Amino acid sequence: MRRLAAVVSLLAVAGAALAPAARATPPDAVILGEAERAAVLAHGPWPPAFTPDPSNRVSGNPDAVALGRALFFDTRLSGDGRRSCATCHDPARAFADGRDRSLGRDRVDRNAIALANLRLNRWFGWAGAADSLWGQSLRPILDERELAATPQQVQGRLAADGDVAAAYRRLFGAGLAEEEPLLALVNLAKALAAYQETIVTPRTPFDDFRDALERGDAAAMARYPAAAQRGLRLFVGRGRCSACHHGPNFTNGEFDDVGVPYFAAPGRVDTGRHGGIAALRASPFNLLGRYNDDPARSTAGPTRHVEVQHRNWGEFRVPSLRNVAATAPYMHDGSLATLEDVVRHYSEVDIERLHGDDGARILRPLHLSPREAADLVAFLRTLSAPLPTAR
Amino acid sequence: MSGSRPAAAAPPRRRRRRTVGAVCAALAAGATLSASPAWACEVPEGFMRLASPEAEIAYRWVPAGPKVGRLFGAEVIACRAPEPGPPSRLVLDAQMPAHGHGMNYRPTVAETGPGRFRVEGLMLHMAGQWIVTFDLYQGDRRIRLSQTIELAP
Repeated sequence: MRRLAAVVSLLAVAGAALAPAARATPPDAVILGEAERAAVLAHGPWPPAFTPDPSNRVSGNPDAVALGRALFFDTRLSGDGRRSCATCHDPARAFADGRDRSLGRDRVDRNAIALANLRLNRWFGWAGAADSLWGQSLRPILDERELAATPQQVQGRLAADGDVAAAYRRLFGAGLAEEEPLLALVNLAKALAAYQETIVTPRTPFDDFRDALERGDAAAMARYPAAAQRGLRLFVGRGRCSACHHGPNFTNGEFDDVGVPYFAAPGRVDTGRHGGIAALRASPFNLLGRYNDDPARSTAGPTRHVEVQHRNWGEFRVPSLRNVAATAPYMHDGSLATLEDVVRHYSEVDIERLHGDDGARILRPLHLSPREAADLVAFLRTLSAPLPTAR
Repeated sequence: MSGSRPAAAAPPRRRRRRTVGAVCAALAAGATLSASPAWACEVPEGFMRLASPEAEIAYRWVPAGPKVGRLFGAEVIACRAPEPGPPSRLVLDAQMPAHGHGMNYRPTVAETGPGRFRVEGLMLHMAGQWIVTFDLYQGDRRIRLSQTIELAP
């Protein structure tokens, strides 16, 4: 059946090219084989349906979304009252900050991840130290290098705000001022998570091409630039990019060592996923703990089974590529300024730098020609579209 | 005369072949049964079989059809093993030979009856070829069965 569909799509493209109408197929349009077609289709459809997070009882609640949106921009969540979540996750910058490494109270070791499509994540942060969006939302509030607040500070300031206190009572059925401070902060983080779950990247030119391919619409397929089509073929084929940047969100949700230096500073290593798993296990806020609202712990399986391995050293999140053109600089340390730099990195990747026997053998220098590199960048740019909230 | 022939009227040679085949099957089944102790499996519908000269299991994935990046489990029934008595332990693992890595998750295995196991916490995080290994233990003796999975993107 798939073979038939592939043939039909090829015939459709050919048919469009032969039609007497003016809409000719570009002479360099890419003809995808059966395996390539299947690989392309696996990157959709988009957007995905929303399902509430069972670990967060206010996930999907419009009142929680409203409270979370207000808190996201509220500097009272920082110890010195000068910074908010939006300082490093600026909606005008695709919910990132454009810096190589973010600047909270201090300069941190990692790049600010663009906040979008987070409901699809299994792990959060570059090292996956949190297993829920609310758990991740707590971390920068308490981190001394970032917002550097205490639960008592946050509770005291927000409980004095009548609107916030009323919203809190409606959502959580308790008075914010009377709540145990850590529980109050967890609940506020759950409202923050409810808001962040609504940040979803819109459909892109790639999605239009992918859907046209699925229904065999040659005319719509022909509107996708030929360079992007060639780049897409590299992405799912020789480049093997889609092995990790898998599925509709262009990430398998896991971690890899891709040869980026992991020294956060001279003599100081960023432990990456290795430290992330240790932090996850030690956290009272993980999904196995008492703050999970789901008695069945139905989403805690990965936390229960994740295994720390030697190869986790130097591994960092496989980031989603949706909206990638708007989220420079790249990599966990923001060390690559442009998409061209990223493609060059993979084209010439230093396999000696990767962990010897432990390292994944999936990476190898691609030695792309200048045109191939440009095609891959052209494809990556078609994964982006302005966020509605950023307009 | 041409045309179809009732099965009962098969020519003598074909009948003889069928008889030989049936005897072989019966012998094979008898051999299996004779080697099968009381814990041998009664395989429910939907289970797949995996055999080596030393051992045989029946298993099914739960839910059926592993997908990239989704936790899944397995039910495993030991059907045949070299030593008397059911295997006391099962270790299930998976490797991706082309990439030189295994899973990022360690499954847990619970014994649900003699020679029966329930596995939870498997995840194959990339599309491609995976080799799943079922290690049955009888005392210190390990018997390995392996199965290739081609995971679609």
